Amino acid sequence: MYSWLPLATIDDLAKIASQVGSEYGPEQAAEMLSGSMSSAVKGVLIEHDYVDKDYRSTYYNYYAKKGQYYRADCVRLHFFAEPVSFDAASLRLIWSVGELQDHYYGFVVLRPTGLATIGRTIVSPDVRNGACRFIISAKHKVHILGYRLAITGFPWMAQHSDISVCAHAACWAILRHYSECYSLYREYLTFDVTMMAQEFNPGGLVPSLGLHVGHVERVFQAAGTFPVHVTKTGVDDVSFRRQLLAYIDSRFPAFAAIQGDHAVAIVGYEWKEKSATPFTELRYASDELASLAVNDDNFVPYLPIGDTSVGPYHIRDIDSFIVPLPEKIHYPADAVDRLAPSLFKAADSLGVSLPKPEASIIRYLITSGSAFRQFVREHASEHSPKLLELAMNLPFAQFVWVVEIATKEAWDSNKVVARALIDATASVHDPMPLWLLHNDIQAVACDRRTLPAELYSADLGAPPTSGFTRMVQNLRTTVKRS
Amino acid sequence: MMMKPKDDKRLPDTVTGLTKVDPKRVEEFTKVMRDEVIPEVVKTIEKRRLQAASRKDRAIK
Repeated sequence: MYSWLPLATIDDLAKIASQVGSEYGPEQAAEMLSGSMSSAVKGVLIEHDYVDKDYRSTYYNYYAKKGQYYRADCVRLHFFAEPVSFDAASLRLIWSVGELQDHYYGFVVLRPTGLATIGRTIVSPDVRNGACRFIISAKHKVHILGYRLAITGFPWMAQHSDISVCAHAACWAILRHYSECYSLYREYLTFDVTMMAQEFNPGGLVPSLGLHVGHVERVFQAAGTFPVHVTKTGVDDVSFRRQLLAYIDSRFPAFAAIQGDHAVAIVGYEWKEKSATPFTELRYASDELASLAVNDDNFVPYLPIGDTSVGPYHIRDIDSFIVPLPEKIHYPADAVDRLAPSLFKAADSLGVSLPKPEASIIRYLITSGSAFRQFVREHASEHSPKLLELAMNLPFAQFVWVVEIATKEAWDSNKVVARALIDATASVHDPMPLWLLHNDIQAVACDRRTLPAELYSADLGAPPTSGFTRMVQNLRTTVKRS
Repeated sequence: MMMKPKDDKRLPDTVTGLTKVDPKRVEEFTKVMRDEVIPEVVKTIEKRRLQAASRKDRAIK
């Protein structure tokens, strides 16, 4: 059964209470969503009697065992832009321009649990007020009324508060993103995540008591990932923030513990506005970080948090994070963070000139060798034929760390002046973990098929353009709709 | 003529026009790595590992 709710403004979402039973908590859900979603949403298709696999996993294993009666089905709300309307008689969606997909902003599932009813949700960051510019996302398939749609975003749900708490919800969101994004990982339902956290069946009261950080690592390990747990060593641990950004920038969402006992998933970021202040010391990309996007089960997804003023808590309140990594990353961000500034000295001795450290900014991220080649291919006009030849022929392992070095002028133009590629499978004891170090006229490449590795230099000739584009292909760019 | 096994291929066999970097310059780089970078990295990683291990029992609700 389907019904339609037109919205003059997003506040009209409160009217879903007239079409949805109170067990789904429509008023509370509408209040939460309308507070942070944009008025670009002009219509809601309400899909009644929706079978939600995540809710069903908790229903079969938990709610069905209770004295209180709970329904087995959910309600799903689909958000559409203005051109779309619904013809109830023919059960057709009608739109006047473009494709239906162009006007779809995602969905929210409402669970029949009375409390904390917002379940599996994938909405577009484009209709989230204040969403960060760069969001880790995957394409999620949606079937409705015989139409096949997709929504690109990051999963989110409110915690159940008993069978799953905030830590479970953050783990679930990250694992659901992985299963949609990478064929290597299977899908885990809400109750699966609850079970994975413990070595025994965590029935009864156990899930409601929350998790320990060690349980979170266990969940990610059980899902076939290789979690790295980074804890802040003190208030002056600037490397902690740099590493967190590096993983997010690499499209690895982070499970973050906030001071106190709360947990969220970090799923995106936004750079600061350009500033006229020149660089006077070596800077890192994290110094240019304006905000992080977090999926917190207490707020609408893509909640921005800043250093001081933006958000209910701040970036400095994050005191540890866990990133579920793939197997073949052996060189940790700690090592890159220490190696990167020493590249200035090294480049000099290897004949590749770099700008002065005090006039530079360093950004580092992980990407796959094939993604790096794709990036070079898409920006071939910026690369000399010799540099392109090196990028295509170096026998990269699956993952590489890309260290980008930019001047202030280059940074402001989204450019870099030099790059180093570091073998992400190198040992931290490897004295030569490089694949490639280059500026626009000179490159040094490392032959890692020999031990010790041998270095070769290449004259790149006249640079085809000034600088190279900053690598930003890993995350989705938010296009604000209002 | 016998072909070299694939594993014997070196970088100059696949990319032309490369010049081997003077071993003294390579040594300068590896010396910085051995004397400065690697000891600090190992120390930092161990510090973080212990810190992370000590926080495993931290409750999150």
